[in-house]
Amino acid sequence: MHNFEYLEPASLEEAFDLLARYGQDAKIMSGGTALILALRQRLIEAKAIISLQRIRSLKIIRWHGSNLHIGAASRHRDVAHDPNVKEHFPALAYAARHLANQQVRNQGTIGGNLCYGDPTTDPPACLLALDAEVILASRSGIRTLRLDDFFQDYFLTARRDDEIMTAIRLPQSSATHQLYRRHLRTLAEHRPVATLALAVCMNEKRMEAVRVAIGASVPVPLRLSRTEALLEGATLSTELAAEAARSASAEIDAVSDMRGDEMYRRRIVYSMVQSLLIEVLQ
Amino acid sequence: MSMSNVKCSVNGLPVQREVNAARLLSDFIREDLTLTGTKRGCETGVCGACSVLVDGEVVKSCLLLACQIDGSDVTTIEGLEIGGELHPLQAAFMEFGGLQCGFCTPGFIMAACSLLNDNESPSEHDIRHGLSGNICRCTGYMGIVKAIQMASEKIRAT
Repeated sequence: MHNFEYLEPASLEEAFDLLARYGQDAKIMSGGTALILALRQRLIEAKAIISLQRIRSLKIIRWHGSNLHIGAASRHRDVAHDPNVKEHFPALAYAARHLANQQVRNQGTIGGNLCYGDPTTDPPACLLALDAEVILASRSGIRTLRLDDFFQDYFLTARRDDEIMTAIRLPQSSATHQLYRRHLRTLAEHRPVATLALAVCMNEKRMEAVRVAIGASVPVPLRLSRTEALLEGATLSTELAAEAARSASAEIDAVSDMRGDEMYRRRIVYSMVQSLLIEVLQ
Repeated sequence: MSMSNVKCSVNGLPVQREVNAARLLSDFIREDLTLTGTKRGCETGVCGACSVLVDGEVVKSCLLLACQIDGSDVTTIEGLEIGGELHPLQAAFMEFGGLQCGFCTPGFIMAACSLLNDNESPSEHDIRHGLSGNICRCTGYMGIVKAIQMASEKIRAT
């Protein structure tokens, strides 16, 4: 690994100073699981690493009115164990509890995960279905972006070089069902082949406020607007579950790589959507 | 080279060193502290052979900079035995054949340690799920799972 300076600001103010001083030569590090690997594999370079680990305010999970703010430097472990996350956002608690492996959950953070923009991980699809927004802070102020707008392309986000993600904001959910599923080819695999999140308000069998999000099998995690429109206001049945599965598998821009070709990814997404909707029906 | 001061505790003993900021924790442990029980396997965060505890929680030391552990308590495989007695996990791995070549074993034992800190009576599913960050390429996992189950029973009984 090439040499760099390691900096640990104790506050956001100090971090902004360092970002201003180093500009594009600096990389921000949260947990570091992905960043250190990328540095070692020479995928990225940095003259300075600015670690967020001493900034306590970035690790707080608490309600601000009717929104739960998850500090961006909260580790996956902290998210998985947080009583508010477990009670109000069980899909996220599930995703955080199953992400990668024990070691990564103990070190990696939710904000680091989002800022890295890797589509093959668990938080993106899950947070998309929960209507998450991200808060980005810089010297020039604070921006709040919908997560859909934050993810711009493969490993590309809307975060500017002078910005630090401070929190993920989750509006209180009215969904009666909040579910997250990840498909692995083997138990030892750390990266899912496909992820699926569903949030829905079931009024008897009528589906309202439907959110369907897919990750891992797509270059950019996204909500499936056509499939959502198909389900919105409709009465859930086994036939509708199959129709939605067909819609979802056709709607995604499925990736094709050594972990699965396009047809395989579409089939996995089809069966995940179908079985999750049948689970809701039961 | 940009140096960083690291002050931490390793296996209960205070350590203070100047390290290159780009030094990995795994290299710091093996080369600077000569604690070679911690292994380097894939060095890409996949195999788990380099697992150590930081503040009681398992991490992969090839994915962490040495300077990130400033102020923390680190435990390596060498720090598990107490007064010359093997840790119940170490004893159980020997008794129930939880190893063959032994290269992955320190990582498995550290991961198991962290797992038992979180869950004192894990089911077989919990153990397999909890150890999914560690890979053994010789023996398969039957002996490892059995060893952890037996060790957890022994720890609960004492």
